[in-house]
Amino acid sequence: MKRRTFLAGLAAVPVAGCGLSGTSSTNTATNGQVTGEITFQTWSLKPKYTDYVNGVVDAFQKQHQGTTVKWVDQPADGYLAKVMADASAGSLPDVINVPPDLSFPLAKAGQLVDLDESLKDAKPEYLENAWQAFEIPGKGGCYGFPWYLNTGPIFYNKALFSQAGLDPDKPPTNFKELETQALKLAEKKVAILGQTPSIADFGLYGVKLFENDKFTFNEPKGVEFVESYKRMYDAGALIPEALTQNYTGAGAKFMAQQTALNPGSAYDLGKFKTDAPSLYANIGITTPITNTGSANMFLHGVSVPKSSKNQATALAFGRFLTNAENQVKFAKLASIFPSTSKGGDDPYFTTEDGTDEARVRVAAAKQLKTAVNYTPVQFSDQMREALLQQLADAMLGKKSPKQALDAAVDECNRLLK
Amino acid sequence: MTHRPYTPWLFLAPGLAICLLFVIFPFLNMIVLAFTDASALGGGQFTGVENFARMVQDPKFWAAARNSLLYMAGVVPPLVLLPLLIAMLAQKIVPGIGIFRTAFFTPVIASTVVVGLIWTWLLDSRGLVNNLVEALGGSRIGFLTDSTLLLISSMVVTVWRGLGYYMVIYLAALANVPKDLHEAAMVDGAGPVRRFWSVTVPSLRPTMVLVAALSAVNGFRVFSEIYLLSGGTGGPGGASTTLVMLIQSVGRGLTGEVGYASALSVVLFVILLGLLLVTLKLNRREDQL
Repeated sequence: MKRRTFLAGLAAVPVAGCGLSGTSSTNTATNGQVTGEITFQTWSLKPKYTDYVNGVVDAFQKQHQGTTVKWVDQPADGYLAKVMADASAGSLPDVINVPPDLSFPLAKAGQLVDLDESLKDAKPEYLENAWQAFEIPGKGGCYGFPWYLNTGPIFYNKALFSQAGLDPDKPPTNFKELETQALKLAEKKVAILGQTPSIADFGLYGVKLFENDKFTFNEPKGVEFVESYKRMYDAGALIPEALTQNYTGAGAKFMAQQTALNPGSAYDLGKFKTDAPSLYANIGITTPITNTGSANMFLHGVSVPKSSKNQATALAFGRFLTNAENQVKFAKLASIFPSTSKGGDDPYFTTEDGTDEARVRVAAAKQLKTAVNYTPVQFSDQMREALLQQLADAMLGKKSPKQALDAAVDECNRLLK
Repeated sequence: MTHRPYTPWLFLAPGLAICLLFVIFPFLNMIVLAFTDASALGGGQFTGVENFARMVQDPKFWAAARNSLLYMAGVVPPLVLLPLLIAMLAQKIVPGIGIFRTAFFTPVIASTVVVGLIWTWLLDSRGLVNNLVEALGGSRIGFLTDSTLLLISSMVVTVWRGLGYYMVIYLAALANVPKDLHEAAMVDGAGPVRRFWSVTVPSLRPTMVLVAALSAVNGFRVFSEIYLLSGGTGGPGGASTTLVMLIQSVGRGLTGEVGYASALSVVLFVILLGLLLVTLKLNRREDQL
């Protein structure tokens, strides 16, 4: 399952009123007091969550008289470019919404405030795995308040399973079963998957991804995993577009009932209901396919740049925004989950009411307790592309799985420097 | 009437300022960055010609340059000839011709993303074209999943998009072809085909050179069509990546290798400049003949 599952959930909302730049504070608090003006930048939350964010901002301003939080929302498209331009110019907003893989290069370049140092008592308020996601592996320090989390089930098309003579109530639970069922579906000309594996899928398979400051996913288990995909590809269990597909593309193929199985999130279920009712009528929901016992987790956080002229207020706002109360409220609105240690105890995440939505929500919340953010924070967009291209060469038989993975690892390690 | 010597500069100042700020300065900066190992978050160190040496040994660069050249070679001939034929049809004043002219011009003004989506739906393995092929008894064709076919499909989109634009250029040029030449040729017994080759084409030669130059430059720096049809991946294994796509792929994001991307951009600039100089020379020779 891919990070985009999660991002798409929030980024899919129509975006309006953007284009504001992330200017830094004008009213400076130099003595560490929580006062003055800060700018807070989010990733595609307008207009669907405008009221929620404004409510949090108002509550913070009321609690801390003399503060002003200027909220700017950036559309998902071009968000990275905007952060890059601001980071290059040294003018990042005071509080900025970033996922771990975006906070990592900023933290590595020494641009973010280390929360372990600045707010020593904050760590216990958050889930350990969420807090760890914002650390620089091996070097310590945490560079972002964990904000919202997501994980999700596997969705499958019961009608396509039945059509191929498979039991629609026995979907695959591990990767071995996935291959067996995929080959059976392929015999009936049904493709099970719309994508080659992502780095997180390697993690779910149990492959060691990163060790001693180097990528290691070309280890024998990684090769075994790609060989399994190669057998599925050769049998027609992956659609032809799988070699070039991103998460969104694979999701669209599943919605169009061209593939039989796809990872998703609670958000997707609502989308199937409205956009693909014939799929919704046959939808099967099962636990994530994993060899490790832990599901994949996606998360967003908020970081405070060192360039902020009002760090005290920025840190206080970051902590306030991500406290249990505010996160639970947000989670109820947006089919996401809180990253605070106590947020998941809310009955909303522990009690089923008979609906599919509640079933997915409760299962996901349970899953999150042991979930892992498999994607290494060092894994950049260029590395993702290198892996995708090498896997395509392996599927097409231009390279052996071992050669393709060696090439991908070499390229990732070169990019790491 | 007299004016102060600096008055013209005052009128030029806004345009010059924009040009300096958004064209000249970034261009010079790109040249400087090409000789560094700069990343998105740092100025980088001077590395001499290391980026260019890396380029020579980078198979991705050669593959991308080859794809860009192929692309140019593939789109220039149809973009020189087809819009001319359409312009000759569209210049006739018949009832409803406005509708045809608009129809041919619509792809030019249509959003690139919308155009990309429409063609993706058409050429997808389960798209309209493949369904038609299957209905006629054929097997599905990997328009978007085979690296060669992906390049050809993108060329088709480029040609389709360019038809209207170049048609307008030809329409303007056709209006300037002296009617008496056609009349003289008719009196001499020349048919429509003979008149096309002996009157229309020679009269339009400078325009055809211009169209060839513009379409060659645009073809060589193609990005959107392949990017959209391949979902941003450059096709299976990145085998259909063009030079501009490679620059974007290398330089994007917080972890982008801005130094290397700049070096690639410098090479692209030199190639395009060479192309334009050759065209200019050809055009001059035409004028002298």
